[in-house]
Amino acid sequence: MKCPKLGKALLGAQTFCGINYSNDECGANGLPLTPTSIKILGRFKHQLLKLRHPNLCKYISLHRSKHERVVVVAEYYEKNLLEIINNQSEYFRDFELLSCLANEIVGSLVYLDKHDIVNRNLSPSVILFDENNRVKLFEYGLFYVTGWGQDVKFPIGQLKYMSPEVIAAGPKAKFGICNFSSKVDVWSVGLILLEAYIGTILWKELTTAKTIKKILSYLKFDGSAFDIIIKEDLNENQQKQIKLLPSEIYTLIRQCLLISAADRPKIQALYNFRLFKNFSKDVEKFDVRDDMFASTSRMKNFDFKCNAGNECMSDFLLEERTLDEIYYLWCIAGGDAINSFKKAFLVRPEPPVTTLPKFISLEGESAGQMRDKSNLYDGSVLILSQDQLRKRLSNLTEEDFFPLLNSELEKTGVSTNRSRNSNEFNQSESLPRIIREADVEYQFRRIILFDRLLLAYPSKQRDLQKEARIDIPPFLRAKIWSALLNVKGDIQGHFDSIDKETTIAIDRQIEVDIPRCHQYHELLSSPSGHQKLRRVLKAWVVNHPEYVYWQGLDSLAAPFVALNFDDEALAFCCLENFIPKYLHNFFLKDNSEVIQEYLAVFSHLISFHFPELSNHLNEIGFVPDLYAIPWFLTMFAHVLPLTSLWHIWDTLLLGNSSFPLCLGVAILEQLSPRLLQCEFNECILLFSDLPELDIERVVNNAIKIFRSTPKTATYRRHAHVKTDEKMKDTYYSEEYSLKKECLIANDPISLSELKREKLPRICSQDLLELLEFRKSSPSSSPTKVNGSDTSKPKMLIMDIRNPEE
Amino acid sequence: MANRTASRPANGQNKICQFKLVLLGESAVGKSSLVLRFVKGQFHEFQESTIGAAFLTQTVCLDDTTVKFEIWDTAGQERYHSLAPMYYRGAQAAIVVYDITNQDTFSRAKTWVKELQRQASPNIVIALAGNKCDLSNKRMVECEEAQAYAEENSLLFMETSAKTAMNVNDIFLAIAKKLPKNDGGSGGNGSSGVSLERTDPSSGGGCCK
Repeated sequence: MKCPKLGKALLGAQTFCGINYSNDECGANGLPLTPTSIKILGRFKHQLLKLRHPNLCKYISLHRSKHERVVVVAEYYEKNLLEIINNQSEYFRDFELLSCLANEIVGSLVYLDKHDIVNRNLSPSVILFDENNRVKLFEYGLFYVTGWGQDVKFPIGQLKYMSPEVIAAGPKAKFGICNFSSKVDVWSVGLILLEAYIGTILWKELTTAKTIKKILSYLKFDGSAFDIIIKEDLNENQQKQIKLLPSEIYTLIRQCLLISAADRPKIQALYNFRLFKNFSKDVEKFDVRDDMFASTSRMKNFDFKCNAGNECMSDFLLEERTLDEIYYLWCIAGGDAINSFKKAFLVRPEPPVTTLPKFISLEGESAGQMRDKSNLYDGSVLILSQDQLRKRLSNLTEEDFFPLLNSELEKTGVSTNRSRNSNEFNQSESLPRIIREADVEYQFRRIILFDRLLLAYPSKQRDLQKEARIDIPPFLRAKIWSALLNVKGDIQGHFDSIDKETTIAIDRQIEVDIPRCHQYHELLSSPSGHQKLRRVLKAWVVNHPEYVYWQGLDSLAAPFVALNFDDEALAFCCLENFIPKYLHNFFLKDNSEVIQEYLAVFSHLISFHFPELSNHLNEIGFVPDLYAIPWFLTMFAHVLPLTSLWHIWDTLLLGNSSFPLCLGVAILEQLSPRLLQCEFNECILLFSDLPELDIERVVNNAIKIFRSTPKTATYRRHAHVKTDEKMKDTYYSEEYSLKKECLIANDPISLSELKREKLPRICSQDLLELLEFRKSSPSSSPTKVNGSDTSKPKMLIMDIRNPEE
Repeated sequence: MANRTASRPANGQNKICQFKLVLLGESAVGKSSLVLRFVKGQFHEFQESTIGAAFLTQTVCLDDTTVKFEIWDTAGQERYHSLAPMYYRGAQAAIVVYDITNQDTFSRAKTWVKELQRQASPNIVIALAGNKCDLSNKRMVECEEAQAYAEENSLLFMETSAKTAMNVNDIFLAIAKKLPKNDGGSGGNGSSGVSLERTDPSSGGGCCK
């Protein structure tokens, strides 16, 4: 789903620490406890990141640092309610403004409640206002993200705005008791509205103890604390003001401050108050998809802003980009949220020696150590300066922000005019991937370009594929992959309609596999990640009764889940489209034929390209069956870390179903100097823990191998034959499968025969093509053909027929 | 790691025997972890699941003999069961693993033992390993119960922990001791020791997966 635009927002960062578990603590399953910062990160990406509401500051990112410290980055504005109350005390005497304030605060809370989030952290200082004076709630969801306060040592919420039952329950009360329902937020709303109206912060001079005492004292009474506050805390003038309040606002505040939680309305019920009768109450609309998988018209809310002319052009254009994109660019422009805190001295690690206790009794009781301040919550917000980024992007022009998609011209052969900097741009394309990915301007242009192509998806799918052959900007990888996988339609509805809860026979297996799947990855090792992976796997198994869960499916689903952590439906649909394309029938209950054929073709390819290696491996009996099953069953997801897998799959997704075979050959090639020297045992040990590979080289070699492989050499009977008309002349291609069909028709061979043979069979067309009697079709490799290396290989053809034939 | 028993065969006077050993048992009981501990002396808390089967080797020295284990570590998922015969066919030893914190895995281990007794080569040395004994506070299978079962079926038995390395090398050593090591075959069955013909799975009449 689309992230809101930057506008005039600032990037604000906050930090806090989770509880640090000691190293040897284990959970019920004997595994070490998940670090709190990982749990927090999982919840953050699962829930907070996807919340979108006009009155909520959008969350952007959460980073983990040392000692369970996390840094949260969110949309931020400098103006807040506290300031207004202190400086313009009569501002909210205007009833219209006041009811608008009430509506916006309540609206955002109703939205949070719909997502089962109790805020419990409301105070005037977190109610911010944007440049249009619209409420932007900040620092919400802290209670949710910390596991209802269990993962941190500090209490959550501002004491003064806590309802009596929250204080009565104590700082460490567990979630689930009635006092943690949305009613606690209702209380705070009442108090805040009262303060806004009278233009004074109440109980300013009270100490913590006295505040607690005061709020607890209300429990002795029935009715509303509003009446008590008017009597005890307001001066004559303020009491007069209260009398002027219109009845609907008066009732609202009075009901909000009902002392008994049982009587107090829930946040949802506030919407029924007369005050809100003229406001829109549709909270559903904020969660409706507006991205490329929207089920309604995507252009419905499209607005195109014009620069009134009084602003710097590049700043104005930048403001039209989304918050998360700006933050991504900010990071590669050298920004580091964690470091910024250190530089601003907001995180000051205590010297360890000062944290030692001064006294330890023989029983082990210690005393006299300083309290570790890092465990407390410091609400200060650090504003991340955008200057550096703006400077780096300052020489961009309007054309750079709105590149023309002139694919029609390209087709007819007219040279492309990407932008006036196109030369420079093409130069950067030839740089190593790692440099390109760290180049702000390059990434910016790529993101802009792909963003536009995705906006036009699926009609621009072919251009998207063409661009993806150059590279895929990591920021948009999730969306681009789904476009390459041809995911379309109402994915949310599709995913939601599948039953993922009912117990099925395979549950136990999934349950034991998930905690072992890519656990080095911070998202996949979080409890939210486990739940997501489980739901996606179950949905796939349930939705495909003809297939079964084979161990390995978990590894296959994991990259999609990690990539689409805030979008389960998309993760699922990508998996669902990936499997038929690359792993057709691999998950049949009896898949041995399919896999045996695949492996046989794989060994043919090895001998076709690297005869020496193939001979050696065959001699020592190191057959693909021993090592390559996990490679192909999971498309390398089981054997490569995700950081390498991203780039492997970036290219894999552009190729057809035989491309993975070429990747396999390329991996062998890279390891071949070692393999050639090794005996069987060393080989198998080498592969039991795949050594570090140069992924870029693997990918490039795989492409070379793919291009120099006769198409029929990789023919498999069990490959998926695409019948989708639309995909006709891309390389998932029809021409390709047609050729195969002509081959089988003439010359079907059985699996056992296939396995006996050492080399691939190719059909006559391919032979002619190899001899360059026929020009090979230009668009069939997954990257751009650079034109230079079409040198003809030398070829020897031997006719081994009998003279009689 | 320090507790690694392996050593290379020193010189010609050492007798070298190769044995094929297979690990069987329910998934997530710690088969791969046992092998990893034995072969590399390592332990990973989040050992990934095994797909198909994994193959590793390790050598142990016993008096004047060098015993080389060729270890087939099989996938635990029930679905892979039909492929198991391919791995235990011709194996001289098997370790059937269960998880002491899970009664079901013990029942599963018993079925494996039965199957081996029925289908595998008659002289196969079977060891029963109750793994994860570092989690004894969550124990669901009593040591005595397993011990009694092992005696009944003349299995080697040990409770092991791949995490703490307890009894891991010992169980492999115990197997090595029990295996017949006189060259040229023993126990009437021609091929029980010595040079292992690598059973090529691709010629094994089916699938390796």
